[in-house]
Amino acid sequence: MILEYLDVFISGLTNGSVYALMAVGLTLVYGVSKAFNFAYGSFYSLGGYFAWVLMVLVGLWGGYIVVFALAVPFLMGFGFVTEKLIIAPLRKRSDWEVKVMMITLGLALFMDNGFQVLFGPRMKSLPPLMEGAVSLGDIYIANQDIMIFVLSVSGILAFRWVLNNTRIGMAVRAVAQNPAGAKIVGIPKNRIFAATFGISTVMVGVGGILLAQKYFVSPMGGWDILVKSWVITAFGGMGSIRGGLLAAFILGMLEAFVGYWFGLSWVLFALFAVLLTTLAIRPQGLMGKWG
Amino acid sequence: MSATMALVFGIMAVLPLFVGGTAHMMHILIMCLIWAVVASCWDLIMGFAGIFSFGQVAFFVIGAYASAIFSIQLGIHPLAAMVLAGLVTAAAGVLVGLPCMRLKGAYIALVTFAVHMILEPFLKSGMGRALGTGGTRGILTIPPMELFGITFAADNKIAVFYAALALAVICSAIIMLVIRSSWGTAFLALKDSQDFAASLGVSAFKYKLAVFALTSFLTGLVGGFYAHYIGMLSTRLLGIDLFVMLMIMLVLGGIGQFPGAILGAIMTVIGNEMLAPLGAYRPLVLGALVVVLVLLLPDGIMGLLRSLVPHKVAEQVRQG
Repeated sequence: MILEYLDVFISGLTNGSVYALMAVGLTLVYGVSKAFNFAYGSFYSLGGYFAWVLMVLVGLWGGYIVVFALAVPFLMGFGFVTEKLIIAPLRKRSDWEVKVMMITLGLALFMDNGFQVLFGPRMKSLPPLMEGAVSLGDIYIANQDIMIFVLSVSGILAFRWVLNNTRIGMAVRAVAQNPAGAKIVGIPKNRIFAATFGISTVMVGVGGILLAQKYFVSPMGGWDILVKSWVITAFGGMGSIRGGLLAAFILGMLEAFVGYWFGLSWVLFALFAVLLTTLAIRPQGLMGKWG
Repeated sequence: MSATMALVFGIMAVLPLFVGGTAHMMHILIMCLIWAVVASCWDLIMGFAGIFSFGQVAFFVIGAYASAIFSIQLGIHPLAAMVLAGLVTAAAGVLVGLPCMRLKGAYIALVTFAVHMILEPFLKSGMGRALGTGGTRGILTIPPMELFGITFAADNKIAVFYAALALAVICSAIIMLVIRSSWGTAFLALKDSQDFAASLGVSAFKYKLAVFALTSFLTGLVGGFYAHYIGMLSTRLLGIDLFVMLMIMLVLGGIGQFPGAILGAIMTVIGNEMLAPLGAYRPLVLGALVVVLVLLLPDGIMGLLRSLVPHKVAEQVRQG
């Protein structure tokens, strides 16, 4: 009994860590540029398919190290160009916020169906990051789970380091705090917007590669992720990275235990209940700043 | 505004004279009218009231299911079921709207779209089945509307068309009256500067909740009409492609450019039929179309027309 709970706990912990990575990406873009990306789930699938093409279709030499080395620049470039092409032109208008939601929703439909046309509707599976398991007495922890946890946590830490210690990180924070002020001191605001969009694409795309080994890749699989990242972002507080981390682990656990006790179909209802309760009691989320 | 609407509905009214013999063409025209109402309601809440509600399709589906369930389970007349369904949907709209009152921008989109996302698992769940949603299979035998000895069923499309036209005219007239009334002015004030409007005594709470109630009532009513016309329902209505199609109607017509949404709906439904030969590529094209339209046609057809027609003439057209 206790062992089963431990299994559920570990599953909650690994999923939570990846959710944290993805939710931080979503909150980053919203916090910096107030753009809400409805295609976030499709970017998740993009990461999964990118890895599938390299690992399974091409059968790349070098395994996941090479996949990640190629995926990061690819996703970064994809996000950057997407922002420049379809979001930046909208910023001039007063109603741009809703236009961004609409255009990214259109992009999501386009990408999802693009995946379906290119790769077919069937789910694709990826080989695990690492075979085998670690045993501690009666407890077995799959190496794959450990790798997923370590990689996503180091991804978040790396992002935090960039944000706090590099010039570009400082520029990103400056734009988030005061766009007009940042522009006055000569920070290229528009390039920062595109760069944050690129970084968030990397985060969700890498999340897609990490989770794809456990849950497959499918053309419509990203919608679930979009909803989860949203709920985490709202629960943790829009624009707050620490809140997002905390929320991701809480909701990862919630998901694992609700799934274990009541069945997977209840997970979405539970998340929705959390979302509504949060917004009713504390609309700014656990640690968010309002606005 | 009223002149454009009269022109559009007037042209629609005589179309059956030319295509009344073809059942498929009549079906397209009926769908044009149904979606025109749904898109106009969306325009009212999003374009005029400035509330980023992404639950419009969800409200349509709630109305359709509610009307079907009322007429099947309780055995009441479809017309009564439709009105009841509208009230149920309005209640749902107020329920969704309440938490949204404290929220801004993207948060509202988040909550309302979450309602959309959760509706499908709910309708398929044990709870939904207990209510009579038929689970994964959906509802297959919804009784058609019967009134004055006429059966408004799929095999009598001309009758359904004129019923839909009447419904669309009534709903559009209500929307137009709301926009022109003090409500419309209040929305405009709230959208431009909520704080300033509030300081002048405009209650954001009252007006925003009322617009949630009104648009979801009309949407639910039309959803019920759709259910009794089509005769069967499934959760496929909640697919993202239909949602995006509704969005195209609004973008094409112009957000906050009523009656643009009506024009947008008609063009989108007809355009979508012409895309039918594309098969699996159709949703791909729809997605790309949204991106292109939002970028190239920021104010929709109505905005384009207004920029083409000299300002004074446009003003006269709008007045008269």
